[in-house]
Amino acid sequence: MTVIIMIIVTLVLLTFSIIKSRKKSIKSVQIAKKMLLNTFVEVTGVMAIVGLILALIPTDIIKSLLGGESKSVSTILGAAIGTITIMPAFIAFPLAQSLYVSGAHLVAIAAFLTTLTMVGLATFPIEARHFGKKFAIVRNGVSFLMALVIALGMGVIL
Amino acid sequence: MKHIFKKFKIIIIATVLYLLAFILKKDIFNSAIGITGGFLLEMVQILPPVMILSALITVWVPSETIRKSLGHKAGFKGRILSFFIGSLSAGPIYAAFPTTLVLFKKGASVSNMVIILSTWAVIKVPMLFVETNFLGLSFTITRVALTVPAILIMGIIVGKLIKSDEIIEHLKKPQSHKDILFTLPNTNCGACGFSDCNMFAKAVFYGDKKIMDCIVLNDKQLKGANV
Repeated sequence: MTVIIMIIVTLVLLTFSIIKSRKKSIKSVQIAKKMLLNTFVEVTGVMAIVGLILALIPTDIIKSLLGGESKSVSTILGAAIGTITIMPAFIAFPLAQSLYVSGAHLVAIAAFLTTLTMVGLATFPIEARHFGKKFAIVRNGVSFLMALVIALGMGVIL
Repeated sequence: MKHIFKKFKIIIIATVLYLLAFILKKDIFNSAIGITGGFLLEMVQILPPVMILSALITVWVPSETIRKSLGHKAGFKGRILSFFIGSLSAGPIYAAFPTTLVLFKKGASVSNMVIILSTWAVIKVPMLFVETNFLGLSFTITRVALTVPAILIMGIIVGKLIKSDEIIEHLKKPQSHKDILFTLPNTNCGACGFSDCNMFAKAVFYGDKKIMDCIVLNDKQLKGANV
């Protein structure tokens, strides 16, 4: 749905751009093409490896890690697993639900979901190329700690 | 050859691993292909519009506008705008990197960039409906209510720890051998041992040679020092 809206918005703006200045529009498309190719080459390999890892690790293992005896250990494990992997939403949410149903701690699931999207070991090299290593380390580190804080807060409220 | 390998390193490794999986465990190969296919589908739908939007910003929006609305002096309004941009976007965080970098180059502050990146990653409006479906309304609302202030704090902390200049410094580093080629004399004299300046620039870019190994440049500098 958002994707469709986004494509429509892009097309409308691009049409405007072409009407106002052909030259600038051609330049835009060239810039976009270069960014697209770079990102595609970088991301495809990473995604392929993550896909293979997700296929290799049975969800049962994740379930047992996130539903362990100790709530705090499960939470840290949840945050850690979320950090290492990256998942598209169509896998992440159903997985989170089945984790919850099968007895994983809510706090651990919240930590898992937050680091899953915000902290990325798999996307770290891509981030470092864009903004530099130091930025990538600091942003991911701070995000990891904040994900734990968010998870703890959820444990208190829910 | 070497630089081609470097650029496609991860893809080559992935291909080898998939071949192994295909030979050893066909069921794992199949489910891995399924997951990767899902990733690729997401990328193919989202990356082209995101990149074109970023490019349009690059070409059309003046730096002054971005600096005013997202820069250091944008204040509270800048924070709100950053949340707005991030939450309305689509796609995973790697799609956000090029876009936020465009905004940064035009004058957005580091903290606002972090806010856009993080919001883009965790609180996308359409995703919230999916989350509610699977995990319930109270889970989603609590998570968002806690995440928004957390992101604000993250933006401020990272903004304190990383100065804009550090990222600018990183951006100045050559992104491709062509940036190096630009500073070379381009006489293709071959004195460095390479057939032309282009080959030498590639060797410098991949760290096999130093730029001062260029005989012409080196000679100029030595003479300059004597005068």
